[in-house]
Amino acid sequence: MSYLEDDLKMALRRTEPPEGFAGRVLARANGPAPAEPRWWENLTVLVRPPRLQWVALSLIVSFMIPAAGLYRKERQARAEGERAKEQLVFAVHVAGNKLHRVQQKVLEMGRMDTRL
Amino acid sequence: MSVAGGTAIRLEEDPELAEQGEIPAFADIVREHQGMVFSLAYHFLHDRGLAEEAAQEVFLELHRHLGTIESRAHLVFWLRKVASRRCIDQIRRRSFWPKLRLDEVPEPAAKADERDPMLSRTLARLVASLPEKARMVMILRYQEDLGPAEISQVLDMPVATVKSHLQRSLDMLRDKLARSVGEIAI
Amino acid sequence: MCMLVGTAGYGQALDLKRLDKLADKASSKAEVTLDGSVLKLAAKFLSGDDPDEVKIKKLVTNLKGIYVKTFEFEKEGEYSESDISAIRKQLETGWSRIVGVQSKKDGENAEVYLKTGGPDGGIAIICAGAKELTIVNIVGKIDLDELSELGGMGVPKIDVEKVKPPKKDD
Repeated sequence: MSYLEDDLKMALRRTEPPEGFAGRVLARANGPAPAEPRWWENLTVLVRPPRLQWVALSLIVSFMIPAAGLYRKERQARAEGERAKEQLVFAVHVAGNKLHRVQQKVLEMGRMDTRL
Repeated sequence: MSVAGGTAIRLEEDPELAEQGEIPAFADIVREHQGMVFSLAYHFLHDRGLAEEAAQEVFLELHRHLGTIESRAHLVFWLRKVASRRCIDQIRRRSFWPKLRLDEVPEPAAKADERDPMLSRTLARLVASLPEKARMVMILRYQEDLGPAEISQVLDMPVATVKSHLQRSLDMLRDKLARSVGEIAI
Repeated sequence: MCMLVGTAGYGQALDLKRLDKLADKASSKAEVTLDGSVLKLAAKFLSGDDPDEVKIKKLVTNLKGIYVKTFEFEKEGEYSESDISAIRKQLETGWSRIVGVQSKKDGENAEVYLKTGGPDGGIAIICAGAKELTIVNIVGKIDLDELSELGGMGVPKIDVEKVKPPKKDD
């Protein structure tokens, strides 16, 4: 083997991946983490011990009456956000689809009219 | 006999199984072969971020198909083959449109091997600039120490083509090195 | 199908109002105008669990606006060349045409322009078929390869069933 080939072996020797690589792979392989509990689900903690049940319930009710108005506003804002998001996803897909079709046609034809 | 994902066979506890080529658990496979897969991707793509992305995808693909692996030898072959294909696909996908981002993302300096002489860095860079198939042939030859017949199987390429890529790439590298650093003894 | 989000258009966006008159002739149409705070709001609502939306979120990080008008018609000849020329005229200065494809097979002509002038990047795509017209204008920096990948069928999956053990020489 020539000196160049020896140098190539040195230059292309194996290198370790960044710290934590294996953990990241295993985390992805084992699936996504469970979703964060919604804020109202956390309130169920209060009703587990039976003797706190009524106290918890009265606290929840007294909190929820004024919160109902806020909740309605939040729901409206959420609906608007979801609509805007759907339109963004649609627009990105249309743009991507058109680009992709152009790309495919160029690759099929094997020529390009380009000017950069 | 092949073993899927969750069943752990500790090869170090059972040398007989190791000889027979039993498949280790997925976590052990990742730890054992991450260097090989990442290095293939890194030397090909010359970008640690892209290399990690590609390497992760290879192992996730393996996780989905672990039941089809028949032996340790098959496992190594599978990893090399799939990693090679993914890297070449990634380059082909990424190189069609011009980039609108004007700022180049530099290689993280902290990751550079301080012992690496300038020649090694130059060579790695030159290899990364070779055409895709020639590049992968060179990486399989000099990183993995595979012979032309083995490279031909990994890349589904005739042996004569592999040898031609090797020869032409070496000639090209010699020429470029000679021009950049002056005459060197080769 | 028609979707409309009315916001103040960005100064650097193309003027596509001329095409509004085609809406009456179209058998189906869609329009998206997203910029400023509405675009930011939309991006905030992209899911962190859906792989498609995760990619889109990353893609739109540096966008300032995205505008789409797309029309489908029952018959040919429902829009004129002058409709498209009016758009092209806006692309004569500060833009560079990077791809032009004419396809006799499906009768669709497509052009892709990159913004070269001004502080922000941007692209414009004009796709004109016999019974379809689509204009896309994106203001801001975006990775075109990733955008194209989102819009395609994706890279064909590696056929791992065919990765058999290596042949052994006898």
